[in-house]
Amino acid sequence: MDYIIRDAKPEDCVEIMRLITELAEYEKLPEQVQLDAEGLREDGFGTTNPFYKCLVAELTSGHKTKEGHTLVAYAMYYFTYSTWLGRSIYVEDIYVMPECRAKGIGHGLLQKIAKIAVEQKCKYLQLVVLDWNKLATEFYIRRGCTDLTTKEGWSLFRFELDALNKLAEGDDRN
Amino acid sequence: MANYRIRPATPDDCADILRLIKELAKYEEMEDQVILTEKDLLEDGFGEHPFYHCLVAEVAKELQTSEGATVVGFAMYYFTYDPWIGKLLYLEDFFVMQEFRGYGMGSEILKRLSQVAVRSRCNSMHFLVAEWNKPSIEFYTKRGASDLSTEEGWRLFKIDKNYLVKMASEE
Repeated sequence: MDYIIRDAKPEDCVEIMRLITELAEYEKLPEQVQLDAEGLREDGFGTTNPFYKCLVAELTSGHKTKEGHTLVAYAMYYFTYSTWLGRSIYVEDIYVMPECRAKGIGHGLLQKIAKIAVEQKCKYLQLVVLDWNKLATEFYIRRGCTDLTTKEGWSLFRFELDALNKLAEGDDRN
Repeated sequence: MANYRIRPATPDDCADILRLIKELAKYEEMEDQVILTEKDLLEDGFGEHPFYHCLVAEVAKELQTSEGATVVGFAMYYFTYDPWIGKLLYLEDFFVMQEFRGYGMGSEILKRLSQVAVRSRCNSMHFLVAEWNKPSIEFYTKRGASDLSTEEGWRLFKIDKNYLVKMASEE
């Protein structure tokens, strides 16, 4: 199975959206996907300061998936900042279609991001993994990852849009 | 005491921001881990593609600290992306000096951050809190935040630079 790993282009957004939805289904949270291909294109390619960067893996030499696709994997990342160390990189998603796994694509994507991180003088790479996802956990631990939730006790918190709107309008609960 | 204002940071604030970063690190018992410099903050925050944005809380001159500082709080944030919902605002750090707490500065900063998030059409605000930090957890949950690590099982992972270099230089 021949493939290349390259930067995503605006015209890849429909295919990337297909892969995003597949990953959400695997993570048992498909009802949470509200984004569409147009939003993805606008936020990644339609602005001078893109909100994310994306790599894709594309089959070459005429190879296609069972359903006729050539885009079989994506990795979304962006630059973040640590008040202690400075520049860092955050991997939002890495997904390889099940029929294309065990061919080094996942590793290739993470390796490319690692190269970018080193080039851009980032001090570390961060990501979140669901606690039941043993496959993903093992993939990252094997490559030198530490589980900071266990080691240092960090929990991820979120303000949803309705809570944000309330806060913005000054509905103080002091 | 209500004589303060919340405003976007300027390049001249970098020394104060670093001072506050170190104070917060001290509170989290991680002071020796701060290797960031004023030069980094200046280059990374005020160049063509900023890595972060910052709000500061500034008191009137007559309320300055014993060391003559008027910048007494800060919040550092940047925009991130969720492929399911789109743009997010990520709150990296948020701190008000101990002697200036209890006057509503923290709430005011959070309100301003929420306004930035809504104006920038972000769908939510994310941030990390240490499990032992009960005052912070209460501050945020009282205002509608949910703990996704507990609710959905997300764990934070990190790959340090030495492993990044190792991976990057592999064949």
